Amino acid sequence: MIDQVCLNELLLESAKEVFETMIFMDVDRCSDAENDIEGDVLLGSITFMGDLEGCLAICCGDDCAKTISANMLGLGPDDEVGEDDISDAIGEVANIVMGSLKARLLKQIGNLEVSIPSVVSGRKLQNSLGEGSSKILVQINIEDTHVAELSLLYRETNN
Amino acid sequence: MAMSLMIVDDSVTMRKIIMRTIKMSGLEFEKTEEAGNGAEAISKLNVEPVDIILCDVNMPEMGGLEMVKKIRKDLPSCKKTKIVMVSTESSQELIDGVISDGANGFITKPFTPEKFQEELAPLMN
Repeated sequence: MIDQVCLNELLLESAKEVFETMIFMDVDRCSDAENDIEGDVLLGSITFMGDLEGCLAICCGDDCAKTISANMLGLGPDDEVGEDDISDAIGEVANIVMGSLKARLLKQIGNLEVSIPSVVSGRKLQNSLGEGSSKILVQINIEDTHVAELSLLYRETNN
Repeated sequence: MAMSLMIVDDSVTMRKIIMRTIKMSGLEFEKTEEAGNGAEAISKLNVEPVDIILCDVNMPEMGGLEMVKKIRKDLPSCKKTKIVMVSTESSQELIDGVISDGANGFITKPFTPEKFQEELAPLMN
């Protein structure tokens, strides 16, 4: 049985590592309990299978996604960031956070097979895994400017 | 000595991020080439070999593991080419397997400019 508090901390640690090393931004857990992300959002997600099956996702507003992409690509504040680059970058963030989390979980649950990431845009987006699943939600504050939401939906299997 | 580099990744954005990180690491390449998967990389390498290849593991059409085997088996012109895998996959079994198949190094994502310097500089000497 995976401990939810432990998983929550590992998800935050993974996100911090990715944002600090590859996006060059500081992140921390949101102090407010609920920070709704208003307006259009991007949801980057990646699924995994093995002793755990489920989906890791990052959800953030358009402005936040644009800032993340620009930082990942090393662009200046006046540089244009293409829609494809923004979408691709958010997918990569989900992919790399999943990789970092997987490395942290390796000793506890063994190997996980991970899919190729996908990104969708819209409003009030939520992912779901059906009955018997658990959900970890971590809201992060990015440089005191943006809020993003990391979610981990998972179910332990008998594999 | 002027060195050439090929980045193989199905994500255009990731190829740009790797290029940016290499620049930040201080490593310099005279020529850089890109490919979206292993098959495209091999097709380009058949025309012009490179000194160093940075390659993702999971890609459509032909992944990095198959690409390494094919290069080592079928491309004698790339005998001296150094191949470094760049992936979120980090199991020791995978790393040992691909090194045994002929890769020269493994960088796990998330990566830093320092990590590229540490892995690539010895291969460039």
